[in-house]
Amino acid sequence: MTTSTLPRKSFQFPSFSRGFLLWMGFLAVLLVIGLYSAIQVLLKGLIITNLSDAVPWGLWITIDLSAIALGAGAFTLSAIVYIFGIKRLQPVIRLAVLIGFAGYTSAMVTLLMDIGRPDRFWHPWVFWNVHSVLWEVTMCITIYLLILVTEFAPVIVDAPFFDGWTRLRAFGHSLHKFTPFLAVLGLVISLLHQSSLGATYGVIKSRPIWFKPSMPIMFVLSAIAAGPAVTVGVAYVLEWILGKRTVPHDVLRIITRFSGVGLLAYGYIKFWDMAAVTYYGRTPGVSKAFALLQQQTPYTFSFWVGEVILGILVPAVLFLVPRFNKNPAAAVVGALSAMTGIIVHRWNVTVGGLFVPLSYSPGTAFELPIGSYTPAPIEWGVAVLVIGYALIVITLAVRFLPLFEKQEH
Amino acid sequence: MTTQTPKKKTRKKAVVKLTRSDVLKIAAAAAGSIIAAPLLTTGPLSPFGQLKQGQLEGENYAGHGAQTGQYHWGMVINLDQCIGCEYCMRACTATNDVNPEEPWNIVIEEKTSGGHTFFLSRPCLHCQNAPCVEVCPVKATYHREDGLVVMDYDRCIGCRYCQIACPYDARRFNWKDRSDEENPYVPAWGTPEVERRPRGVVEKCTFCIHRIDAGLAKGLRPGIDREATPACVNICPVGARVFGNLKDPESRVSQLIASNPTFRLRDELGTDASVYYIPPREGL
Repeated sequence: MTTSTLPRKSFQFPSFSRGFLLWMGFLAVLLVIGLYSAIQVLLKGLIITNLSDAVPWGLWITIDLSAIALGAGAFTLSAIVYIFGIKRLQPVIRLAVLIGFAGYTSAMVTLLMDIGRPDRFWHPWVFWNVHSVLWEVTMCITIYLLILVTEFAPVIVDAPFFDGWTRLRAFGHSLHKFTPFLAVLGLVISLLHQSSLGATYGVIKSRPIWFKPSMPIMFVLSAIAAGPAVTVGVAYVLEWILGKRTVPHDVLRIITRFSGVGLLAYGYIKFWDMAAVTYYGRTPGVSKAFALLQQQTPYTFSFWVGEVILGILVPAVLFLVPRFNKNPAAAVVGALSAMTGIIVHRWNVTVGGLFVPLSYSPGTAFELPIGSYTPAPIEWGVAVLVIGYALIVITLAVRFLPLFEKQEH
Repeated sequence: MTTQTPKKKTRKKAVVKLTRSDVLKIAAAAAGSIIAAPLLTTGPLSPFGQLKQGQLEGENYAGHGAQTGQYHWGMVINLDQCIGCEYCMRACTATNDVNPEEPWNIVIEEKTSGGHTFFLSRPCLHCQNAPCVEVCPVKATYHREDGLVVMDYDRCIGCRYCQIACPYDARRFNWKDRSDEENPYVPAWGTPEVERRPRGVVEKCTFCIHRIDAGLAKGLRPGIDREATPACVNICPVGARVFGNLKDPESRVSQLIASNPTFRLRDELGTDASVYYIPPREGL
């Protein structure tokens, strides 16, 4: 960065600490790796990934689903503050909306890489198929991203950079009065698409372990529970880095408790889903599919350790037991643990479901080969791009935008 | 904290004001856009509406095909006659210029529960309740009036949800650009009659619609006149595949279905496929 003076009055070019520059350098490396991979994919096509006709969705879809679920703190906390009127949590809203924005835009970047014709990304907006869950998800994500941008606009125009732009700032602030309305719309839209992401799998009747009504409920509940925890984790980590309070600790403790209760609710549904759908209610197709997954893949291990222990039990204890609830480090560990649970769950649903081959032949001998998929290096490269992008958005926003103003005592 | 309270109160007033007039305005605007959006996108006011209007006339409802019109194209495959020669696969791959590694039409060796060997061949089944049509986010896959499930390759975004939803593994994605590649089945098994699909879209069996449509325009009868009949049906050396109009009780397909025991693949899913199978004489 060169030091130049900008003509705006009262805007001082910020100074950068060495740590900040090192961190930005690291993120730049991630972006370079990621952009190289993305360009390779765009030039050569999806043939250079390890996706196939048997397993057409893989790592990138897992990232989409996880990013959207982990960004769910924005709508959940907005609803709590503006609809249920718990104004005490207001100081966390700006951070939650920022993380939501980073999550949703990351998902869009990944989707753009994943579809075969990125040049036609706009088709769902124009050519509607109202019967398609995926169409509905696309529309909802688009609308919700606009909501997030509108919710965040007042914060952006409050940056010192815009000190000279009084009209823009006034316009940005005028958007603020729509916040309650946006919170209602955001709640409706988010509940719809967070569950529809599960329904994307739940409506596929040809795949026995997907086809169940609990799928959308588990998706939306896990997102509502884990999303706010991510916001809390980020708030504590930023506090360590910046060396000052970001969000009042009593606020964060309320949110971690909410998240803990949410995770228990998710665990409850998950328990009955396992008991009712996959244990007592086993059809031959479901039995066969699970037997296959248990033999051929570490499904049992990843389910119990990844989804249940790391995803539900560990964070629930860390968030709800008073001794841990007061401890920022425990909250961060709990948030990371819950994040892992979400990612493992989305991976297990997507790739696990596709590993089980379709069975349509009436005979007894023929079996389609069991799906096999390990993400190719180029797919990890694009994943690095998305992670680097999300971290840069959050870093720049924390550095340049007044996310936590007026919280100082 | 205490300095914040008066500020919060002014904000609250703004909220109350919003609920009166502004919310109504917003609601009216939202309702207006909901009405305007389909008009502008697919309706008569749309700049896009004219793009494929001729092709898309049958797309009114994503679920059912073949509810209007005089044709419902279907196929009967006699598993008792099929010898597993794979000619249908080769003729299809040549005629539709399909990637030989990802054939639309497959032939597999199978065993009955009694241990007898038979061969199952599978084109697209052209379901009347087609999961692929329901899930496509852009209506790139749709039903024609004659019941065929076909694709608009100019509209497909390559999301591959149809591949995931199809219970029969009948869909193939173009993972790479094939424009320079040779098709080993050309010219021995036929010459390409349709354009190769570009990289990044999903493709599928069409029952050779180009033959059906051109044939009907000439007054030919698909299923009877070879020029208007799918390549896989024409080439079958034992006549195991029969094609025709399921809506016409006099057609050969209708008569075969009436006079033989038939079944459809995974009928319990309710897909209502247009391909009927006659089981081997040993049973299944």
